Amino acid sequence: MSVLGFFGAPVVLLARTVRASARDGVPWRESLAQVHELGGRSVWLVMSGMAFFGAVLVTIANSQARRFVGNVAVLGPAYFELLIRELGPAVSALLTASRAGAAHAAELSTMSVNEQVEALEMSAGDPYADLVAPRVIAGAVGVPLLCTLGTVAATLSAAAVAQFAFGVDGRAFMDPRYVDGWDVLGAFLKAAACGIYIPLAAAVAGLKARGGAEAVGEATTDGVVAASLGCLLIDLAVSLAFQLLRL
Amino acid sequence: MTLLTALGRKGLGAVRGTGALALVVGRTFLALPKLERRELGRALVQFGYGSLPLALATAALAGIIVVLQSGIYVQRLGARAFLGWAAGYGVLWEFGPLLLGLIMSARIGARNAAELALMQVGGQIEGLRGIGLDPFAILVAPRVVAMEVSMLALSTFTFLVAILFESVAALLTLGLPLRVFFGTFSQLLGPWDVLGGVVKTGTFGLAISLLSTTVGLSARGGAQAVGQAAASAVVQGCAAIFILDFVLTAVLAGWMG
Repeated sequence: MSVLGFFGAPVVLLARTVRASARDGVPWRESLAQVHELGGRSVWLVMSGMAFFGAVLVTIANSQARRFVGNVAVLGPAYFELLIRELGPAVSALLTASRAGAAHAAELSTMSVNEQVEALEMSAGDPYADLVAPRVIAGAVGVPLLCTLGTVAATLSAAAVAQFAFGVDGRAFMDPRYVDGWDVLGAFLKAAACGIYIPLAAAVAGLKARGGAEAVGEATTDGVVAASLGCLLIDLAVSLAFQLLRL
Repeated sequence: MTLLTALGRKGLGAVRGTGALALVVGRTFLALPKLERRELGRALVQFGYGSLPLALATAALAGIIVVLQSGIYVQRLGARAFLGWAAGYGVLWEFGPLLLGLIMSARIGARNAAELALMQVGGQIEGLRGIGLDPFAILVAPRVVAMEVSMLALSTFTFLVAILFESVAALLTLGLPLRVFFGTFSQLLGPWDVLGGVVKTGTFGLAISLLSTTVGLSARGGAQAVGQAAASAVVQGCAAIFILDFVLTAVLAGWMG
C-alpha cells in the first residue's frame, strides 16, 4: 500500500462514481436507506462518545484553570469556539469512521467475495452508481448532521459537568461570543469532506477483496484504518489551512 | 409484560456477558504458560508494527488538539510559561491514551472479534478442542499478551511523537519558542505523570483484547453473526474505554494527590 495508492485510490473511485452517476442517474431510494443505515445506526455511539468527550475536556480545563486562573468559567466562550471549530467535527467523524467504515467495508467485501458485484454488472447494473454513489451521498448528508448532534451533546455535557461537579457557571460553555461564520464554515467543510471520504475509503478496501472469509476480515480492518486515517488528515489539513490564512 | 420480558432479557444478557468475560479472563490466565509462540509473534507484528502509521497520525492529532486547547490560555491571558505543562499533561493523561484506545479498539477489536467469530461459527474451535488442544492457549492468550505489549510500546512512542508535534504546533500557531516549551515541560511534569498515561493505556489494551475475544467466542449463527460480532466489539470497546478512563482519572489523581 504505497502513499500514492492510499490517497489516489479514493480520488479515482470518486471520479468514477461521479461519472457513473451522471450517466446512469442516482438511486435516491437507496441513498435514503443508506442515510438511515449510516446516520441512524451511529447516532447513539457518536452522541454518547461526544458527551463523554465534553466531560473529559471540562475536567482537564478545570484542573488547568485551578492551577492558573482560578475559575474555568472565564474561559468558557473560548472552549465553546474550540469545540465547534475543531473537536466537534474531528472526534464525531472519527467515531463515525470506525463504525460506518467497518460496516461499509464488510458489506462490500462480502458482496465482492460472493461474486455479487459481478452479478450486478452482468445484469446491466453499475457497481459505482448502484453501490458506491448512495453511500457517498449518505456520508455527505449524514456526517455533518452527526457532527452537529455530537457537538451539541459535548456542549451540554460540558455545561452539566461544570455546573454540578465543579460548581462553576455551566452557561459560560454555551456562550457564542467568539464564534463567527468562519468557524462554522471550517467545521462544515471538515464534516462534509470526512463524510465523502469515509464511504470511498471503505469502498476501495471492500471492492478489492478477493478470496474467502479471511479476505472479508482483512478488508474490514483496511477500511476502518483508511477511513480513520483519512479523517484525521482531512481535519489536520483544514485546520492548518485556516490557521495559515489567518481566518 | 413485554417490557418486563425485554428487561429480563437485557439483564440475563448482561449477566451472561459478564460470566463469559470472567471465564475468558480465567482460562486465558491459566493458559498463559502454554501459549503458542508462533501465534504470539504473528499477533505482535499485526497489532504493534501494523498499527504504527495509524498510531502516528493519532499522536499528531492528539498533540495538535491539546495545543489548541491550551493555546486558549496563551491567547487570552498571555500565560506562555505554562503551555508546556498544560500540553504535556493533556497528552499524557487524557487525549493520548483516549485516542489511542479508541483507534486500537476499532482496528484490533473488530479484527479479533471477526476472526474468532468466524472460527466459532465455522466449527474450527470445536475442532481444536476435539483434537485435545486448548483454544485459549492457541488463540486467545497470544492475542491478549500481544495486545498488551503493543499498547505499552505504542503508548511510549505515541507520547514522544505527540509531544514533538505539540512543540512544533506551539511554535507555528502561537510563536512559542521551543526552549520555553520544553523548559516548562520538564519543570512542571514528573515521572509520575508519564506513568499515569502508561497505566491507562495498558488497562485499555487489556479491556479491548479481552472484550473482543469474548465477543468473538460467544458468536453463534452464520455469516451475519460475524459482522455483528465485529460491530459489537467496536461499540463495547469504546464504551469500556470511556468508563475506565473516568474511573482511572479519579483513582490515579486521588492516589497521586
